[in-house]
Amino acid sequence: MIGLTLQRREQPLPGGQVRAVLAGAFIALLAGAVLLLLSGSNPVDVYLRMADAAFGSERAWSNTLSRAVPLGLAGLAVAVAGSMGLWNIGAEGQIIAGAIGGAWVARVLPDADGVILIPAMLIGAVIGGGLLAVIPAVLRAQLGVNEIITTLMLNEVILRVVRYLVNGIWKDPGGSGFPQAPLLPDQSALPGLFGRANIGLLIAAAVLIGFGYFASRSKWGYELRLAGSSEKTAEYAGISLRTKIMTVLTLSGAIAGLAGGIELTGSSSRLVEGVANGWGFAGIIVAALALMRPSGVALVAVFFGAVQVGGLAIQVSGVSASIANILQAMILFGALAAGVFTEYKLVRSSRSPRAAVAA
Amino acid sequence: MTRSLKTLLSLLAVLGLVAAACGSDDDAGGGDTKAAFVMVAPVGDAGWNFMHDQGRQAAEAATGVETAFVEAIPEGGAEFDDAVQQFIDDGYNVIFTTSFGYMDATEAFAADNPDVVFEHISGYKMNDTNFGNTFGRMYQPRYIAGMAAGAATESNKIGYVAAFPFPEVIRGINAFTLGVRRVNPDAEVEVAWTATWFDPTVEGNAAQALLDAGADVLTMHQDSTATGQAATDAGATFVGYHSDMSSQVGNYLTAPVWNWTDRYTDVINAAKDGTYTPESWWGGMADGVVDIEIPSESPVAAEMQQVKDQIIAGEFDVFEGEILAQDGSVMVAAGEKLDDGAMLGMTTFVEGVIGSAEG
Repeated sequence: MIGLTLQRREQPLPGGQVRAVLAGAFIALLAGAVLLLLSGSNPVDVYLRMADAAFGSERAWSNTLSRAVPLGLAGLAVAVAGSMGLWNIGAEGQIIAGAIGGAWVARVLPDADGVILIPAMLIGAVIGGGLLAVIPAVLRAQLGVNEIITTLMLNEVILRVVRYLVNGIWKDPGGSGFPQAPLLPDQSALPGLFGRANIGLLIAAAVLIGFGYFASRSKWGYELRLAGSSEKTAEYAGISLRTKIMTVLTLSGAIAGLAGGIELTGSSSRLVEGVANGWGFAGIIVAALALMRPSGVALVAVFFGAVQVGGLAIQVSGVSASIANILQAMILFGALAAGVFTEYKLVRSSRSPRAAVAA
Repeated sequence: MTRSLKTLLSLLAVLGLVAAACGSDDDAGGGDTKAAFVMVAPVGDAGWNFMHDQGRQAAEAATGVETAFVEAIPEGGAEFDDAVQQFIDDGYNVIFTTSFGYMDATEAFAADNPDVVFEHISGYKMNDTNFGNTFGRMYQPRYIAGMAAGAATESNKIGYVAAFPFPEVIRGINAFTLGVRRVNPDAEVEVAWTATWFDPTVEGNAAQALLDAGADVLTMHQDSTATGQAATDAGATFVGYHSDMSSQVGNYLTAPVWNWTDRYTDVINAAKDGTYTPESWWGGMADGVVDIEIPSESPVAAEMQQVKDQIIAGEFDVFEGEILAQDGSVMVAAGEKLDDGAMLGMTTFVEGVIGSAEG
């Protein structure tokens, strides 16, 4: 009996991940065309509309890049931990913690100049996200508690905290009883750049490029990857795993926190419960598409942002939300799945492994 | 990486050019009025967003104006901004934003787009030119629904599954309870908070807890029919909300319902004629935006009809004293009526409600 199995390639395909992502997305678009035809839309029109909304004008680019900011930072947060073999599933919560940190600074310094207030809020956000990640970091480094579980569950905890703040002690006294935090001071809004993009884009780009460079070139980054590929080798080489786990998870949370700070100062007028908006979970997909390499996150984030912007635009033009969401999911799934084939190939195999060896 | 980076960048650029060349043929909209609706959850087949979509369709038929909608757009996120901007770019010049959390963002869009009429549902902000708000006095039919529930209960305990401790929700619970105790002074209304607008599992569990506590009539302030299912399964009576749920839920008694058609028609026509003036429009049963069907099988059907007629004629106010608060103190003194401000900012329960108004 003949079947198909995945076999690791001796050499990964050249051009690798970028080509795979595009090929996977393309196959998904073909499959999506069937779906669109069945639901009564013209696939060509729909796809042109998606591309136009994501890349067709300056404003389209500004929409796409604005989304790439939280996606990229959340993706970087996950990838930083991932390059050491750690799973930070808590970026969603760390974004909220970052927004809380930023909002707290705005409460303490409501009259400060924007030049002081904005950086202070962003620092508050970095600290907020980092602090939330310290908990799983310590538990993992000192007690070996699985960080997947702890980071995941802290998402729920911090969601309750922000709900408590917004509905309780931070409730807007001028909001006629509505459960919402007060408006942020006007001068806390991040200055605009072009279209809908603000300088959060520059901050995120600096962090992503800087970190990508640092992670691939520095001794620190090398040790990180070494620890990720083999703990024993890393320990033998004199790397303290505990310190590494502590710093990496905390740093991961701090980066996610920065995303929360930029969302708060950039696109929100007040602290709201939904500030994280799923960015943190999307960051896991971004990091996976980037193969956990910090240097690849930025491009993937732009791609992901474009898919989101395009998906919404076709909804506006009459494609139902469910179809638009399925289409987005198919594109991302196609890209993820195609990534497998850069390192693996399909081979025919007979059922008996011994026969395969003999052949 | 750098080579593949260049590849992807150039691909994106090409895509952008292609899209720019192909798209943007629909920009020259002319002066036609087109109305768009932004909804926070899927339109579905019952609930808040369903009724807005019913209103949209009926208003489209009544005005002959083209309409479109997007659903499942989170509050306070980039999706809202993208969707509204896309509608504006596509020439929509009347935009209804139908969830409370859209308020700040709608206000900002109204300031930036003076030629577009924005009508926000369930908030309190407005400007002088192109941004108003609309809501309905749901407490009026809630009171009448309470009468039906009060007459139906034998255990003298009525369960109320409620979303969030907003003034709107608290006002509804209070009005309902006043109606219950008008016909049955011994009955009490027990509240279970779910902290969700639409989560059938959570709402079903809350409903079950109320049934276990002895309730034999249930009602709710939610978007799903889970409470009705739980009531039916337990053989209890169900008083709905939002829409006529008789076809979806057994043991259905009646429901206070929304009907947005006339209001939407008026706003669209005013925008079309250039006579739109922003206001804080809070319509009642007299305007038709809220309503309730009188269940003929109810022993108090005649009295319900009488109250309905009185409310429509402006002869009866739900929140007219004397009304005692939950703790027994006087909430509204005899002979006094709560004004709109006090009703809109209501944060405490009346006597006869079991549970905390803090959530």
